[in-house]
Amino acid sequence: MICDRTTDGKFLDTYLILTGNRLFIATSLDEPAKEKIYKGYAVPSAKTENAQPKQSQPAGWSIESFELAQIESLSIVNLVASGMVVMRAAEERTVGAFTNGEMGRASRFASAFEKLKKQESLEELHLHEEHGHASCPKCGMIYPEEGRQICPKCMKKHAIFGRLLSFAGQYKKSMALIIFFMLLNSGTGLVIPYLQGTVLIDQGLGGNGMFAHQIGLIILLIIGFRTLSLLFGVLYGVINAKMSANIAFDLKSSVFSAMQRLSLSFFQRKQTGQLMTRVNNDATELQYFFVDGMSFFIVNAMNIIGITTILLILDWKLTLLCFLPLPIVVILVRKAFPRLWRLSWRRHRTISRMNAIISDTIRGTRVVKAFGKEQKEMERFHTSNLAYSHADQSFNKFAGTMFPVLNVLTQTGGILIWSFGGWMVMGGDISFGKVLTFVSYMHMLYGPIQFMNNIVSWWSYCMSAAQRIFEIQDSVPDVTEKANAVHLDRMNGDIEVSNIVFGYEPNKAILKQVSMRAKPGQMIGVVGHSGAGKSTLVNIISRLYDVSEGEVRIDGINIKDLSSASLRNNIGIVSQDVYVFSGSIAENIAYANPDCSVEDIIYAAKIAHAHDFIEKLPDGYDTIVGTGGHNLSGGEKQRLSIARAVLHNPRILILDEATASLDTETELQIQAALDSLIKGRTTIAIAHRLSTLRNADFLIVMDNGKVVESGTHEELMTREGAYYGLVKKHDEALKMNEVISA
Amino acid sequence: MTASKAASDHETDAAKTTSDLSDAANIKYLTVSNATFKKTEGQMLSVKVDGEEHPAVYVHCSFPHTNRSIYLSIRTIENKEIGMIRSLDEFPAETAQFLEEQVSIRYFAPEITRVVSVKEEFGYAYWEAETTAGLCRFTVRGGGGHTKLVTANRLLINDVDGNRFVIPDLTRLTDKEYRMVEMSM
Repeated sequence: MICDRTTDGKFLDTYLILTGNRLFIATSLDEPAKEKIYKGYAVPSAKTENAQPKQSQPAGWSIESFELAQIESLSIVNLVASGMVVMRAAEERTVGAFTNGEMGRASRFASAFEKLKKQESLEELHLHEEHGHASCPKCGMIYPEEGRQICPKCMKKHAIFGRLLSFAGQYKKSMALIIFFMLLNSGTGLVIPYLQGTVLIDQGLGGNGMFAHQIGLIILLIIGFRTLSLLFGVLYGVINAKMSANIAFDLKSSVFSAMQRLSLSFFQRKQTGQLMTRVNNDATELQYFFVDGMSFFIVNAMNIIGITTILLILDWKLTLLCFLPLPIVVILVRKAFPRLWRLSWRRHRTISRMNAIISDTIRGTRVVKAFGKEQKEMERFHTSNLAYSHADQSFNKFAGTMFPVLNVLTQTGGILIWSFGGWMVMGGDISFGKVLTFVSYMHMLYGPIQFMNNIVSWWSYCMSAAQRIFEIQDSVPDVTEKANAVHLDRMNGDIEVSNIVFGYEPNKAILKQVSMRAKPGQMIGVVGHSGAGKSTLVNIISRLYDVSEGEVRIDGINIKDLSSASLRNNIGIVSQDVYVFSGSIAENIAYANPDCSVEDIIYAAKIAHAHDFIEKLPDGYDTIVGTGGHNLSGGEKQRLSIARAVLHNPRILILDEATASLDTETELQIQAALDSLIKGRTTIAIAHRLSTLRNADFLIVMDNGKVVESGTHEELMTREGAYYGLVKKHDEALKMNEVISA
Repeated sequence: MTASKAASDHETDAAKTTSDLSDAANIKYLTVSNATFKKTEGQMLSVKVDGEEHPAVYVHCSFPHTNRSIYLSIRTIENKEIGMIRSLDEFPAETAQFLEEQVSIRYFAPEITRVVSVKEEFGYAYWEAETTAGLCRFTVRGGGGHTKLVTANRLLINDVDGNRFVIPDLTRLTDKEYRMVEMSM
């Protein structure tokens, strides 16, 4: 491995080489490197070539070597944002230091050392790391999201665009209509300046050509075209509104249903917030794409081409003239907008800091008052308020200067035409109406050009959004039902777990060779420290995940061969994090079985000891709970979820720390509820508080993904092993509680 | 408020109450009289406190950003505190120097002396900057938290691997540099 920095804060490579029986330390005698490139920084290839010659003449290496037998241990010390290799031979010594990017390799190095020291084989260790998993092989850019190998730079945008178009297939008609009406709208709009300028002034007032002196007719024509343009505009708007809502609806429901289809692991990989944003924002983004983007793009492009052609036909010299200020405008916009964006960012930052203070003091009022710090809070607010006020001012000042300047510049085109056109009119080269027509057209040109200016970034955003949505649609659920799955209407509840191995990520097993057996009607308690793999075990039994090795059998059938319906109908989970859906209490209890009778709901609530508190609520079982509804306490929610499980009436019940977050009294009540629920079912209960497991027929103790002990409470107590230790600690904690409460 | 100011405030205006607090907190202070620091051959730090030898100890700063020479915590690898040092000034220059060395090993973070460029693309900022450890190019994940102000003017930057970089004083940057940095704050 490489230690890429020195302890005195420079970058210099030290190589540590581990062989069968020796450790070599090769320290470069070079001057410390002048440059350091960290992960993810894509260096243009030319630069790396330049860097090469510097490294080709090393000043030599100082090499030290140690017998493995002399070294007692080798460990990695985590420092702040970097690491250090420390070796213990006769005394401890620093071997080398490295930056955080090497941390993964360093810890593998240390474990390789351990293995060699113990004369074990290195096969299990994956010494060859997978390359190119974190960054794009083509351009070297790091992938924006971990675990998603999509480089927004190199992504095949055309393919995605094609796919998007095919998605829009069902709206072909509406889209064609929209574009058609938009074109008509702008087409009829385009006629008006011509009528107002050339026709009205030159022909009508000037008294020559086919419209000589027919002012009324010309006005009528203008009104007619305006009305037509308006009509087409309205038509396009109406169709557009309908289509846009439909597309958004389709996109959202397709993503949502695609998401529901996926396995739990997908949701644990991606954060929930990210998913919500994805469904909402990306669908909206794509809606814009279809609705505004596509049609506006076509129409604006047509407008630019159309107007330019008309202008060129009218007079090419004047046309060139009116395009003269355009580059200046574009350059100015390019220059000024980043600054505007920066100022608005600064304003945003100051305002969020101010808001933080406001919410701090409001939520922390009690603390502020208790310490008598009102004055200080006022000062704190004053400072941030001042900062915001400054930022706001500078933003507004700049915006207030920039936009008028831009306006004037845009108008210079008009002024140029007026002056040159006027001059040409005097010379009799062109007519006054033509100049007027010109100016009107020119003003129509700026909008579309502005639009085109932003099209590139917009296109990138859209394609990324589309890519993310397609990714959800394309994801294949990890856990799938077999084609000829066995359906069990009613399970006996005989669970047999044999030698399962499982890990959320490859090479990192959470469960290692776990076996257990639960006979019908038995209650099995699973205990162990947090992170021991208890929850993972029950997730696997209910097949929220598939095992990597080994198998889980229920009633003698491998759960991979069972239909998911039979699993879901027969397995119920009451877990620590209860979720209450928006809706009434009755609906929440009946979640698993919406067609049950009202009587059943009340029975279930009664069994779960929830009936009493529900009756006390003013709205009883009709109380709306969940987001925005009545706030239930933790214990109440827990009892609702137990009632849900009671009504579900599963043959196999899994209690995953069902009472962990509750106070002792509530726990006792819920314990009673649970006791009545457990009767006659195979139960697997996970608990922190060992007292919860007093009824368990059998206990398994897990540690670090392995079953370390199993047996009844008495057996395990007499063995004085891990369980005994846990019970001891638990008792001490209880005594402590007593002391405190006494 | 800086830590040093906090410390001095603490000493003066709270002098009456500190005695109670220090009794309750029960912090073991290492002084010249009760502790001897030594740099081992293996470039490690060892300390002998009240006759007891601790072969490999690490120095943790209580205020790594505001003042690195006061309230240093001397800890073992198991994160057990052996004692605290009130201020490095209490120790002879030589000892203070290797304590400082240990601090700089632990809090390794190149200080940015000149920002060459900060480019933002697809949620990542690509930095190129001259630092006290040479020219560094690194990548910072966008969106809050990876580039943050730790004091009014000190900016801490965490790259994708968790490596740290520091701009010790934002006001010392040129306008152009500040503009580049500002957008990723």
